Amino acid sequence: MANAAGQAAPDEAEVPLGESSGFRFIYRFVKKDKASLVSGMIIGAFLLFSIVEGVLQQVASYVKQPSLGWAILPTNPEIIDFHSSLAAPSLAQFPAGILGYDYNGRSILSEILYAAPRDAVASVLVVLSAIIIGMILGITAGYFGGWADEILMRVTDAFLAFPAILLAIALAFLLGNGYYTVLVALVIVWWPTYARFFRAQTLSLRARGYVEASKLSGIGSARIMFRHIFPNAVDPIIAIATLDFGNVILTYSTLAFIGIGVEVGIPEWGSMTSEGLSYLPGVWWWALYPGIAIMMIVICFSIIGDRIQDLVGGRLTY
Amino acid sequence: MVSQFPLFLARRAVNAVVTLMLMMALVFALIHVVAPTPDDLARLYTGAHLSQAQLAEVAHRLGLDQPLWVQFLNYVVNFFQGNLGTDTIYGIPEILVIERFLPITFEMVVIGSLIGVIIGVFTGAIAASNRNTPTDYGIKATYLVTWAAPPFLAAIVLQLVLAYYLNLLPPSNVADLTLVAPPAVTGLPMVDSIMAQDWPYLTSYLHHLVLPALTIGLISFGSITRITRASMVDALDKDYVKLAYMKGLPKRNVVYGTAFRNAVIPIVTLIALTFAFAIGGAIVVEYIFAYHGIGYFTVDAIYNLDYPAILAITVIIGLSVIVANLVADVLYGIMDPRVRLT
Repeated sequence: MANAAGQAAPDEAEVPLGESSGFRFIYRFVKKDKASLVSGMIIGAFLLFSIVEGVLQQVASYVKQPSLGWAILPTNPEIIDFHSSLAAPSLAQFPAGILGYDYNGRSILSEILYAAPRDAVASVLVVLSAIIIGMILGITAGYFGGWADEILMRVTDAFLAFPAILLAIALAFLLGNGYYTVLVALVIVWWPTYARFFRAQTLSLRARGYVEASKLSGIGSARIMFRHIFPNAVDPIIAIATLDFGNVILTYSTLAFIGIGVEVGIPEWGSMTSEGLSYLPGVWWWALYPGIAIMMIVICFSIIGDRIQDLVGGRLTY
Repeated sequence: MVSQFPLFLARRAVNAVVTLMLMMALVFALIHVVAPTPDDLARLYTGAHLSQAQLAEVAHRLGLDQPLWVQFLNYVVNFFQGNLGTDTIYGIPEILVIERFLPITFEMVVIGSLIGVIIGVFTGAIAASNRNTPTDYGIKATYLVTWAAPPFLAAIVLQLVLAYYLNLLPPSNVADLTLVAPPAVTGLPMVDSIMAQDWPYLTSYLHHLVLPALTIGLISFGSITRITRASMVDALDKDYVKLAYMKGLPKRNVVYGTAFRNAVIPIVTLIALTFAFAIGGAIVVEYIFAYHGIGYFTVDAIYNLDYPAILAITVIIGLSVIVANLVADVLYGIMDPRVRLT
């Protein structure tokens, strides 16, 4: 997509850094920078594991063979075994026991791993949907201006007046409690930011020579917007999106923490913490480790996001 | 220039009112998408398992069977009269619940955001003036960790370390439970206890305030550090800063006198964002510290499926964020006259 845009754009100089030299440039950049290399590896492992584990869980529920769902985990995350109830973390019980056990005697490590696909799916689905909605509305409003633009700005103002977490609570509450309704709620919370980003980018690109040229040569508005403006607008937004993968996980797990979007008996990082809360301070591992897992993933996403932001160079306003 | 200020104020105020109306329309629309018929609406507002006839009666009494635009008008009028519905759990008007709990949270969140802003501005300035040194990287690593930590993790770690392990601070509640709160005049515990000269309560309250406020400060300072650093880096490259160095001013004066004063202006708008983020964070933080403010009440309402409470809280907090944004805009206009022209 980026190459097609490069050919279509008459002024090559406007194409942001990193795009012209492609993946080799990114590779060289990453090789110098150990922090983003490590974060990239952790994120890669997280996503890869989530795909495998997520597919296994789906297949397990499809063929009604629950044990398949924890085939690659140390132990069954839904077992009840009071012999190991609230057992402290110990390296002797590698690998299941290294993060300790919860009240039901379930291995915290197994539960954290079992919950990983839910958070990965949440972040990817929410951010991608928000980008698509924000892209369509933002580019259209920015390109045509006038009333459409004014309405979009005021509506997004109204959305952005709420703290994200509160709007998500109200929405998830109204839509009915469940995993997918929480995702819908998060998309509704997230799209206005992207609409604003795309609008701002479109406003700055609208007056560029190649857009004017396309207009003069009689190319339709829709084609100009999505073949000429979108590819040039999307680079800085990739950096924001990378940061947002982490932010969505943070918000999603915070919602789960206060009991929204969780299903009884299915482990989730946020809800594990809130279950472990009543066993503090004696049993710290139950509440702390799922939170630390979230923190690690979010840190990695923000390091990568920062690096991409440096790469594409543009600072984004909205 | 001065004569433009009222115009600037008016424009910002109109903007805020439009946003408020749209926000209410948004909440109203959401309610009606979820509950399209009068009976559904009545069930939403009463929360009890009523019979069909009772539902119809409630719907009629609350005016839920009227045309949509009448209902919206009623909704807006009710809002400005402070009528936000009746709580299904406590059976009292929502506005009383909010009057009781919101000031407690407000005080905690303002103090917490202030802690966050102070930490953020100073760490940002220090990081910028020591660009690409270990200090800079250390600050970056610190705020990455606190910023990426879910609010509940930050709260739990502080509670474990400061309250349970070191026994420095009480782990939960607004104040010592054996103490009677001073009469509510403003609703703000600190102001009230000073007015009533209730020093034991004030001391206990301040003791209990530290942990939640510190948590709010910790989770919110990262974004301020980031922006302050970027803004300072820009300012430090400016000609007037180089001139100040050339004149032989010591580094400390140049950084904190010349550059800092110019760099700090854009941060004012961030304060409103921090406030909004802090109110969101307060929901979880109050729950963990059993700090009985509006956040704790929100979690309670979620567990009790108390729809009117959730809707009332959503609108009220939306309103307070809009007001915070307006205040920040006006402050920005006062500090930087160029903004008034836009």
